[in-house]
Amino acid sequence: MMRITRAAIPALSRGITLIAVMVLIGLLPWISGRDPALSILRARMGDQNPTPETLAAIRQQLGLALGPLDHLWNWLAGVFRGDFGTSWISGAPVLPGLVQALGVSLGLMAAALAVALFVAVALCWPTMRRGLRGRDTRSSGVVAACLTALPEFMLSAVLLVVFAVWLRWFPPYGWHGAANVVLPALALGLPAGGLLGRLLENAIAATFHERWIATWAVAGFGKGQIARAVLRRSLPALMPQIGMIIVAMTGGAIAVEQVFSIPGLGRAVLGAASAQDLPALQAGILLLLVNALFIGIVANLIRIALLGRALEMGAMPVPQVLQAAPSRRLWIVPGVVSFLMLVLVVAGLPRDPFTSEYIRLQPPGLLLPLGADGLGRDVLARVAHGAVSTIGMAIVVTAASFVIGIGMGLMPRLAIGPIEVTKATPPTIAALIVTAAMGPSAVGAVVAVSAVAWAPLAAHTAALVTETRAQPHVQIAPVLGVGPLQLLPRSILPAITGPVLRHAMLRLPGNALALAALGFLGLGPKPPSPDWGLILADGLPYVERAPFAVLAPVAALALMSVLGVSLAALSRR
Amino acid sequence: MSFLTVRDLSHSYRGARRMWGRAPDLPVLQSLSFDLAAGERVGIVGMSGSGKSTLLRCLMAMGRPQSGEIRCNGRLVVMGRPASLRWYRRVVQYVPQDPVASLEPRMTVAQLVAEPLRRLRIDCDPQSRAQEALESVGLGSQYLSRRPDELSGGQAQRVAIARAIAMRPAFLMTDEPVSGLDMTVRAQVVQVLRDLSQTHGTGIVMVAHDISVVAALCSRTMVMEHGRIVEDRPTSEILKAPHHPHTRQLLEAAPPLVAAA
Repeated sequence: MMRITRAAIPALSRGITLIAVMVLIGLLPWISGRDPALSILRARMGDQNPTPETLAAIRQQLGLALGPLDHLWNWLAGVFRGDFGTSWISGAPVLPGLVQALGVSLGLMAAALAVALFVAVALCWPTMRRGLRGRDTRSSGVVAACLTALPEFMLSAVLLVVFAVWLRWFPPYGWHGAANVVLPALALGLPAGGLLGRLLENAIAATFHERWIATWAVAGFGKGQIARAVLRRSLPALMPQIGMIIVAMTGGAIAVEQVFSIPGLGRAVLGAASAQDLPALQAGILLLLVNALFIGIVANLIRIALLGRALEMGAMPVPQVLQAAPSRRLWIVPGVVSFLMLVLVVAGLPRDPFTSEYIRLQPPGLLLPLGADGLGRDVLARVAHGAVSTIGMAIVVTAASFVIGIGMGLMPRLAIGPIEVTKATPPTIAALIVTAAMGPSAVGAVVAVSAVAWAPLAAHTAALVTETRAQPHVQIAPVLGVGPLQLLPRSILPAITGPVLRHAMLRLPGNALALAALGFLGLGPKPPSPDWGLILADGLPYVERAPFAVLAPVAALALMSVLGVSLAALSRR
Repeated sequence: MSFLTVRDLSHSYRGARRMWGRAPDLPVLQSLSFDLAAGERVGIVGMSGSGKSTLLRCLMAMGRPQSGEIRCNGRLVVMGRPASLRWYRRVVQYVPQDPVASLEPRMTVAQLVAEPLRRLRIDCDPQSRAQEALESVGLGSQYLSRRPDELSGGQAQRVAIARAIAMRPAFLMTDEPVSGLDMTVRAQVVQVLRDLSQTHGTGIVMVAHDISVVAALCSRTMVMEHGRIVEDRPTSEILKAPHHPHTRQLLEAAPPLVAAA
């Protein structure tokens, strides 16, 4: 009996989480507190003043005068019939347009995946060749680290500026032919390929250090056979991470579609969010989530197929981790980057980021080192104040995700549903849900990123708890009269707090970038806040006349990315 | 009347999962029954995998056997909430296998030895009782503020013994108490256990894979093989004339200092 209930907890947790997500999405119009009649009136009749009579008429017409439970029931029943409701703006059913948009997004994803695979293979090629020749397989991974450091929305902006605006090699926007695919696919595929290549390269290098390689080589296996076996040995352990990279691409695709004006699902959902068209937003979020969940499931199935009986028999050999000699030089990059960031903040913080006291797009000069933006505001002041606000928000996110991660990680069986759903939810999709519920704001962005940033910390906590519980001094606790609840403050929390806190701190730059991406998409702080994402979005229209207004926030974001990647490299020692 | 009675104790572990169908059950304890008299010194020997450690876990109520029962002075011992087992923890205590790893690394020696006195609500002054227990194993007050990583293996094992005997238990269960220690320290620890038994009449169960260690301390020896007790007789008789072939194997494997001890 005990055993059955314990085994049922994960399944129960998954089921309840899925139901909770459906209920949350279904109740969005009601949570948002927005009067749909008012939205519809604004969209259809422009400036006409809403009178109680006209509003009541629209409500009656759409059957909107319902309580939350009826509303939820109607929506869920509709979803199961394949009816996702009608748009508040156009009055047409939302699903056909969104399905078409999903097709466009999947096309973009496929192209980006091709780019990512090409990049990953190119990055692994030298390691594989060195390994087959029996040389040392360790490599610095600098190229891969640089590629990984580029967030999609920033890379999109840079590619757009360089190749579409300055060089005019590719069209800047639209989705009409092969030429339109190149830049978005690069923007989405390069960072993913960098990360994929780095993981794969590390795994291949570690595999080449295993003993069977020498046995096979002596036994006369060909290089092709060994290479195939090495890949087959290295891939399964990476499948969950590969799945997460592709899931993250669905979030990155939203920003890429927005920058290049691609009529994909992400842009459609962003449009619905800004137009307050909640039925379209609900359907779009649901499609994005289903898409991400589907990718996660496929990645897991491939992993099981690759592992075959090794998984069933519990005979999986544990891959060894290659450790380069720890070196003080590893601290140089993060040190220099932190110093540059500090210089930027100290130089810009005393200046005024809000007043338009300069000429619009004034070029840089002695008194105005980075020029002025489209409204005549000091770019240096805005970037510096943006650093303080973005990093400040990232610290709040890090603290929140630390607390949630520890709490969830302490009950891993119960938390498995939330952990899996959260892993399948890129911060952008979480932000769409939060924005739909409470409108765009800095607080909303912090809530959205915190809501998904805890999952890796929870997984880490759960692993540490299992490890700690297996230690003899914890095993003996019942004999000493220490109960399960007393064990928490006595042994478990002291053992896990340090490592998980360090892990959370290493994720701070990543959280800052996620927040900046939300600002860029209009899902975070509202203008005129000096948020890095907002500064970049504000500067893009004037990029030809005032490149500094774009380059300054890009440089700041790049510094943040390098900090994140170099810190992550340190943590693996 | 015996202090501890064990009746029909059986347990099995779930084996590796098969592709289809249920995992096979691997029996580790097969219907064990025996009695322990108050103050007795009993050795349990057997090779790795013979079921010694599982038996000890059941005796310490740290694991729940699949069937059978354990009674202490007639009262049923069942794994459960800490409060419901407090009475048993006060009379039967435990010295684990790995002395250094079994001490919480963040606590001082004084805190470690006093902890169970507080948790098990023993009516005494924990500080002075802890100090007394440490002195009885030969550790003076200079050790009170040390932490486990500042102790040698033998010192750590003596702290573990002090922690167990601070409650003045009637029985002490020890799991390979000297296997990780070098020869001179082994003799010290065995001497501490013998003194304890002789001055306070504390019963001792000692689990070991090495029969020579048991021979040095215990008057009665149980030999385990594949989850069964194959021989249970006075130690001196077993040493002189082993009945079971497995006992002979164990004796042959033991180093020649059996006779010396």
